[in-house]
Amino acid sequence: MTRSNSSRRAFLRGVGASIALPAMASLRTPGLLAAEAAASRLAVTASGAPLRTAFLFFPNGSIPKAWWPEQTGADYTLSETLKPLEAVREKFQVLKGLDNVAAEAGRDGGGDHARGNGTFLTSVRINKSSTDIRAGVSIDQVIANKIGHLTRFPSLELASDPRRQSTGCDSGYSCAYQYNISWKSETTPMATEHNPRQVFERIFGEGSPGKRIEHLKRRRDEQRSILDYVLEDARSMQRRIAMADQRKLDEYLTGVRALEEQIQRAESLGDPRDPGIETPLGVPQGHEDYVNVMFELMALAFQTDSTRVISLMLGHDGDNRSYDFLGISEGHHDLTHHQDDEDRIAKVQRIDQWYATQFGKLVKRLDEMEDTDGNSVLHNSMIVFGSGNADGNKHTHTDLPILMAGSAGASVQTGRCVDFKGVPLANLYVKMAQTLGIEDVRQFGDSTGGLDGI
Amino acid sequence: MSDSQKQFIYLSALCCFLQMSSFVSPALGQLEANEFERQIRPLLSEHCFACHADGSAEGNMSFDKLFEEDDSQQRHETWHRILKQLQAGLMPPEDEVQPNEEQILAVTNWIKYQEFGLNPDAPDPGRVTLRRLNQVEYRNTVRDLLGVDYDTSTNFPADDTGHGFDNIGAVLSMSPLLLEKYVNAAKDIVSSVVPVESAVMRHQSMPGDRFVAETDDDSTTQPTGGRRMGREDRRVLTLSYYSPMEAQAALDVEHPGDYVVRLNLAANESYVDNQFDDNSCEFAFSIDGREVLRETFVRQGGKDYAFDFERSFQPGTYKLTASIKPLSQSTQVRQLRLEIKSVDLIGPKDPSYFVKPDGYDQFFPRDVPSDDVERRAYARELLGQFASRAFRRPVEPDNLERLVDLAESVISHGDTFESSISKAMTAVLASPRFLFREEAWAPGSSDEYPLIDEYSLASRLSYFLWSSMPDAELIALAGEAQLRDNLDTQIDRMLHHEKASTFSENFVGQWLRARVVESIQINASTVLSREPTSIDPEADIRRQLFFSLFRKAKQRTPQEEVEYEREKERYLRSFGGGSRFELTDEVRTAMRRETEMLFEHIVTNDLSLLDLIDSDYTFLNDALSAHYQIEGLDPVEGSAMRLVQLPAASHRGGVLTQGTTLVVTSNPDRTSPVKRGLFILENLLGTPPAAPPPNIPALEDVKAEANKKLSLRETLAIHRQDALCSSCHNQMDPLGLAFENFNALGRYRTQELGQKIEAAGELNSGEHFATVDELKRILVENRRLEIYRCITEKMLTYSLGRAVEYTDAHTIDELVANLEANDGRAQALVRGIIRSSAFQRMRSPQAKNDKQLTNLIHSPSHR
Repeated sequence: MTRSNSSRRAFLRGVGASIALPAMASLRTPGLLAAEAAASRLAVTASGAPLRTAFLFFPNGSIPKAWWPEQTGADYTLSETLKPLEAVREKFQVLKGLDNVAAEAGRDGGGDHARGNGTFLTSVRINKSSTDIRAGVSIDQVIANKIGHLTRFPSLELASDPRRQSTGCDSGYSCAYQYNISWKSETTPMATEHNPRQVFERIFGEGSPGKRIEHLKRRRDEQRSILDYVLEDARSMQRRIAMADQRKLDEYLTGVRALEEQIQRAESLGDPRDPGIETPLGVPQGHEDYVNVMFELMALAFQTDSTRVISLMLGHDGDNRSYDFLGISEGHHDLTHHQDDEDRIAKVQRIDQWYATQFGKLVKRLDEMEDTDGNSVLHNSMIVFGSGNADGNKHTHTDLPILMAGSAGASVQTGRCVDFKGVPLANLYVKMAQTLGIEDVRQFGDSTGGLDGI
Repeated sequence: MSDSQKQFIYLSALCCFLQMSSFVSPALGQLEANEFERQIRPLLSEHCFACHADGSAEGNMSFDKLFEEDDSQQRHETWHRILKQLQAGLMPPEDEVQPNEEQILAVTNWIKYQEFGLNPDAPDPGRVTLRRLNQVEYRNTVRDLLGVDYDTSTNFPADDTGHGFDNIGAVLSMSPLLLEKYVNAAKDIVSSVVPVESAVMRHQSMPGDRFVAETDDDSTTQPTGGRRMGREDRRVLTLSYYSPMEAQAALDVEHPGDYVVRLNLAANESYVDNQFDDNSCEFAFSIDGREVLRETFVRQGGKDYAFDFERSFQPGTYKLTASIKPLSQSTQVRQLRLEIKSVDLIGPKDPSYFVKPDGYDQFFPRDVPSDDVERRAYARELLGQFASRAFRRPVEPDNLERLVDLAESVISHGDTFESSISKAMTAVLASPRFLFREEAWAPGSSDEYPLIDEYSLASRLSYFLWSSMPDAELIALAGEAQLRDNLDTQIDRMLHHEKASTFSENFVGQWLRARVVESIQINASTVLSREPTSIDPEADIRRQLFFSLFRKAKQRTPQEEVEYEREKERYLRSFGGGSRFELTDEVRTAMRRETEMLFEHIVTNDLSLLDLIDSDYTFLNDALSAHYQIEGLDPVEGSAMRLVQLPAASHRGGVLTQGTTLVVTSNPDRTSPVKRGLFILENLLGTPPAAPPPNIPALEDVKAEANKKLSLRETLAIHRQDALCSSCHNQMDPLGLAFENFNALGRYRTQELGQKIEAAGELNSGEHFATVDELKRILVENRRLEIYRCITEKMLTYSLGRAVEYTDAHTIDELVANLEANDGRAQALVRGIIRSSAFQRMRSPQAKNDKQLTNLIHSPSHR
């Protein structure tokens, strides 16, 4: 524990130093972008730079009256909770009136946190069961399936949320729903990486600066050398086992194929340049440090074009951590059921505001990072920031708090507040996929079309 | 339903089984219908229909709907709920006319043997989904297989869980990320222990604590600035950044030649919240009087260093000198230290002095044959043994040949024989046969529910009781088909084996959530500020002031700067004194162990499981006994946990008044009687209330119109007035409120918010209790059977890695009756589960049930 904190700082200091370099030119293997852009319009801006998406999830909704600006349009005034975003006001838009009805109780009764979490990126009803887990393929994975071949990693799934319990999850739902927003298939959640060191080493290699690329290569050789054997092993096992177990081996085989493809892509696309900074050590002690180190890793992954799709769980829905560093010693979830107590509402609002502040840091960071086309990395991105509950007190799932930063390479307007007056959140996802050039995503979850006007 | 009624039902259920089989036969549809109309419907009509039929559907239960339900799975699930309500005595409600025991038995038997069609002579073992090793099982298995401790919690993404356990096959999915991690782990594990050469340079390591300081009087003593760490496995010398020191050690060199001397250092710090130490020191190192290193260290944050020095030696003894001197005298928090971990002597470089690598003989018992055919045979022998152990059953010949081919291909690339074996071993650890626990049925069986083969049984046993692979003895017995014949002896052996503690760690750790106590956030000062005798109530305000000033950073005014410095000092000082009752890591671990050891003690000594609720002993060490401050109990000495007899009025004894339960059912700032009540209903009585209706705010936070601060009891009383809330909260609240004498830190108290704590209450079922001790007694005496049933369901779930379903109803009744007949003795349950059809058998993959289940899994009905 004690080690991680200082290492985080060392890591961030290192990152700071690297900003001084002409960003993309130094970090990315040259010569690939033009070829990619020519080959496909997928996930590429008009200017030929990579087009990226990220989905950030914060827990337990927000205090609506403090979250929503009173006006819409470009002249809106930032709300109390969003005030810290003043400096990056022109870099994001406030999206009002987006609903995720799949998260509502329906016939399933309690469990709004499991549903808020499990449906956030899937927009389908999740099966209420402790063992028979079924959600839907999440939008980040739909996108990754289409554009994943362009980068070394189809997508990254991150979390700044190490605490997990095996019991006490929401009302009859498996904990899988409450700890995963990204789903590879109906039944396979995309497990998250929560350890900054592991994330960094997976992208840039183990060891000290200068030795990492060699490490990545050696890793690939080792992986490749045994894949044939294990593939054959899985197939022979598959012939023997019961029907219902096939799914488990399918997951294994899918993983083997994904790894093969990852190895091939790393070789055809080339390794990233070593960012030359120190590897972050473990999980930082403070929540703010933790969130920010994950932001740095996202920024690095985008900057080096290691992936164009990232999801990050800042906390899981129902999270009951306390925010002592804000002087709030009560649990977050407990506080959100505030019963109109002003003091408790104020505390929840401060937590909401803290999350908005962190988001602002990421926006600023990506905005300062130069992309291959001379624009910023942020300019060529769509970064969604939101929660699976709207009002955490009442467990509502309409009018969810959603922000989107980045202009998708000038395809999307920012610096305004838009009210869609009650359309499915999934419409935003459809629109994002289409903006990435994935034309055949016409429908997703409960969508009724692509969201016009973003 | 009274206690004696329930006992009667269980005991008569046992007697009935023999007769039962006579009326369970395939073509009894008509008779079944007749029996239902003649015997069952009148009973339901009399006792249930008023609220649950003819248009009424209280609690969302309607027999009208049930009788029309076509989907047999849906119907079974509803009847299963009814069965549980009847068995737990929850329905009909206490204030209604109660059916007699024969009548209840008639209904429950009808449900089990007619509606479910369960056959007591050949109970359905249920279906266990192919289980992947979870993090704990993987770690233990690798330890037992190769002697490597691989940190799976850091290296692997977290496992998903269901039904409160992390070993449920259906939920343990494998994402592409995890597969990649498995492949990398296989390589890292194998290469950390399996040599890839037959001879290597000598590498001797001298622990850091061999360094000693020389003082003026010429006697060797412990260095003044240094400190030996207590634990055997960390034999380091710790040097402070703030006091000069010189220490020496002798390096013995046996052979002449060129060497590398490697100095392994670590720079560490104790983190103090947001405080940074900018002190520095200079470290120097000499070999035989010649200085080879002089380096300045600042705050380096947990970094490891290795410095290599090339050097020729003649045989003899050489003096190594390490010295440290402070370069600054800042008065800040002193938290920096340098550790000499070890000094390694590597060489001589001349190959004639090379030696076999460490552990070579463990993996390569003979010299590598030079002949190709013999070498291949040797590879087959080594890999056959390894793969069979790793797969926990004999490796199939074609699989083994593929492993040998893989190894040979490595040799053909010019690598050593050893590295070829290491490569094939890596493949074994990445194989699905290692990662999944494939089960097979006993040879020659054509039953619908065949016995699992003995290798599968060995694995079920060892993962149940040890969370690890079967050892050599279990596998040997399975190989001779002798395991079933020696089951009792083996269970005895396994329960008394040191690995049996993992049963308690993983089962109790999850069932009773004992694990959670190690990570849950609790703010000691906030908790204590609710109690008058606690620390200065202003401390929290000052702490908040400090943080607000801290956050202002450079925007602090000069006046605020002064204030900040003052508050900082106070804040830092509070780490020493004010937080005596903070849940330190030491206390948290002791709490977890207390719960685990109680369960271990009960199982190992075959005591009653009811001791989990109420006992006059517990397990404490110095830290935990100081934390609890139990009146009338002498302080426990030493850090080792030990059995302690509790004084009469301790209010302790049993898991409900242990730190684990009390803490994990609390909020970060206070207790939660609702969570505590829920915990008892869910985990001990097995009767969880329905989930709260959607869109209803958490009930415990209801505030009265009055502005005064209400006690939790008063707050809860207000919201129980709401009919919607009361049906469940009448069950939870009295249970939870009984524990209000224990705060969120697990400490005993008599007041909160200036009011005396009132623990007395009345259960929904009418029993009065004045204290928590009386409540425990009521639970143990009147709710014994519910508790047995609940533990049985939990342990069965854990042991099988699957959900308990309606098809298990007969098995569970049998296990509960067996527990009751054996005075609740723990081993009666463990052995009963192991002997049950559910544990011993599997559904034949061809059986129709399996197809139904598969269809169910793929049905789109949920969307």
